[in-house]
Amino acid sequence: MNAIEAQELTRDFGATRALDGLSFAVPRGQLFGLVGADGAGKTTAIRALAGLIALDGGRALVAGRDVASGGSLVRESLGLVPQQSSLYPDLSVAENLRFFARLFCLPKQDFRERSARLLGITRLEPFAGRRADALSGGMYKKLALACALLHRPEVLLLDEPTVGVDPVSRRELWALLHEFVAEGMTVLLSTPYMDEAERCHRVALVHEGRLLLEGEPGALLDDFARSPACRQTAPSFETLFLARLEQADRERERGDA
Amino acid sequence: MTSRQGRFLRRVAAMAAKEVLHIRRDPRTLYIALALPVIMLLLLGFGLSFDIERIPLVVADGDRSAASRELARAVFGSRDFAAVAGSDARAAQTELRRGQAMAALVIPAGFARELDAGRDSPVQLLVDGSDGNTARQIMGKIDAILRAHGGSRAGFADSPPLAVKVSTLWNPASRSALFMVPGVAAYLLAIAAVLLTALTIAAEWERGSMEQLFASPVGRLEIVLGKLLPYLALGMLQLLLVISLGTTVFDVPIHGSLPMIFVAGLLFLTGMLGQGLLVSVLARNQLVATQAGALSSLVPSLLLSGMLVPIENMPWILQALTVVVPARYLVHALRTLMLKGGGFQVIALDLLALLAFAVVILALATLRFKRRLA
Repeated sequence: MNAIEAQELTRDFGATRALDGLSFAVPRGQLFGLVGADGAGKTTAIRALAGLIALDGGRALVAGRDVASGGSLVRESLGLVPQQSSLYPDLSVAENLRFFARLFCLPKQDFRERSARLLGITRLEPFAGRRADALSGGMYKKLALACALLHRPEVLLLDEPTVGVDPVSRRELWALLHEFVAEGMTVLLSTPYMDEAERCHRVALVHEGRLLLEGEPGALLDDFARSPACRQTAPSFETLFLARLEQADRERERGDA
Repeated sequence: MTSRQGRFLRRVAAMAAKEVLHIRRDPRTLYIALALPVIMLLLLGFGLSFDIERIPLVVADGDRSAASRELARAVFGSRDFAAVAGSDARAAQTELRRGQAMAALVIPAGFARELDAGRDSPVQLLVDGSDGNTARQIMGKIDAILRAHGGSRAGFADSPPLAVKVSTLWNPASRSALFMVPGVAAYLLAIAAVLLTALTIAAEWERGSMEQLFASPVGRLEIVLGKLLPYLALGMLQLLLVISLGTTVFDVPIHGSLPMIFVAGLLFLTGMLGQGLLVSVLARNQLVATQAGALSSLVPSLLLSGMLVPIENMPWILQALTVVVPARYLVHALRTLMLKGGGFQVIALDLLALLAFAVVILALATLRFKRRLA
């Protein structure tokens, strides 16, 4: 069964079409990567799945419920780590955690156990009393992740969690995500870094609000290596995605002509 | 209590507790809430006084008789006037022109003789009319003194045919403070309340935390109430401060029900905080919210509340506008409760109007608060 389903998602911002019939599905317990350049529509797609923006067309389902009509049941089943800062800078690490736990009405004992574990695995325990605005970029992202995971969501949405994070924190973040997925959580994340695709169970390449490519990373690379478009002996995701983006641009130009 | 209601209350409490942390850590909030009203009340309470005392007055005594000196003593016997040296009418006019005196009382030669003969003995009062309000007050005070003096002496012109005893109820000394402090209190509460909440939701948008809030199960009403409650408590503290200052520094009495003053204050603050929330919901930006909040609270509560200008003296269109200005009802309620006395019965309509405004504005703020980023 799919934990996330994006069905023909369409959204316009004025004259700009941010989502153009985007469709994909994420089975339960998988780590799904939404890859694309800046402005591809990744953030809009994640916001649509989180119910933060209204859709002009299509349907988004999370944990089997329609996001548009699911209300708080949908929100209780998902955790979100937005791209931009989303925490309270004047509140400490512990206070931010306590606030979000209270929004999800977590019992006190449950909160104590959960926050202790999350502070432990994110290595934020020594900084529990530090204000959020005094954390480094990597620590801030980990705190945002911890806040989103407190209530044990079925689905975790992360919008470019590794942008602006140093390589060590980045590696730790990926390790954490794999740990949560191993526990049964479904994770969808967006990234502009093509090389991060191989860390996902499945990836989707998004361009101008449309899906260009979707599949398991290994299978995608194998297919590409056998295709005439590949001019390298050991192709990378970067070359694969760039080749597909160029092809999409050529197709659009032909269409325009 | 159902688990749904329990969750509602827990989320409201979570929002309120977070807001308390923000307030404690932001000195600006505490300044707006507590220091600003105190400073403003002291400034406005003293600065907006219409009372005039020790008016510089020159007496040009052209008669130099016992009767003329008696009249001068009667004038300076009240604390309303202070003597400025002058010899004759010409010198008195010079003092007026130089601004050393605001009024001159010219007693002509032969004043005593005419009085003794039982004839009218007019004196002349010259008043600096460049400040119309002060000029009117001087004329009123001199007229009262001359009438009183003439009554005891007999022989002044224009002695009233009937003895009218005038009693000013509730503010016998006609002190401005008694009139102004309740009005200023409403004005200050309005500004501080709107400014406090105008910033709070706009700040959530600006710092990006609204995205995280919307992704959580917290509802719009829970956010609005959670943000309202701490500021309501702060606003009640403000009201207590302002009332305490009014009674101690400005000697404003409280003849009516003190609990009713706080009930009126509570309803008024709820409405004004709701107005701030509505501004914040619409603005999504702290700078715009501050400006819109200040404008939407300052102008109506200053000019359309009856604080400075009686509502009955306004053009009909402005009178109609005052109906939707909550400060109007608080000013009336505070003046009634503090100066005239009484309780619920005398301010029931004011309370009803304040309640209606609070309910409507909070409903509007909640409805306009869309759970969408775009």
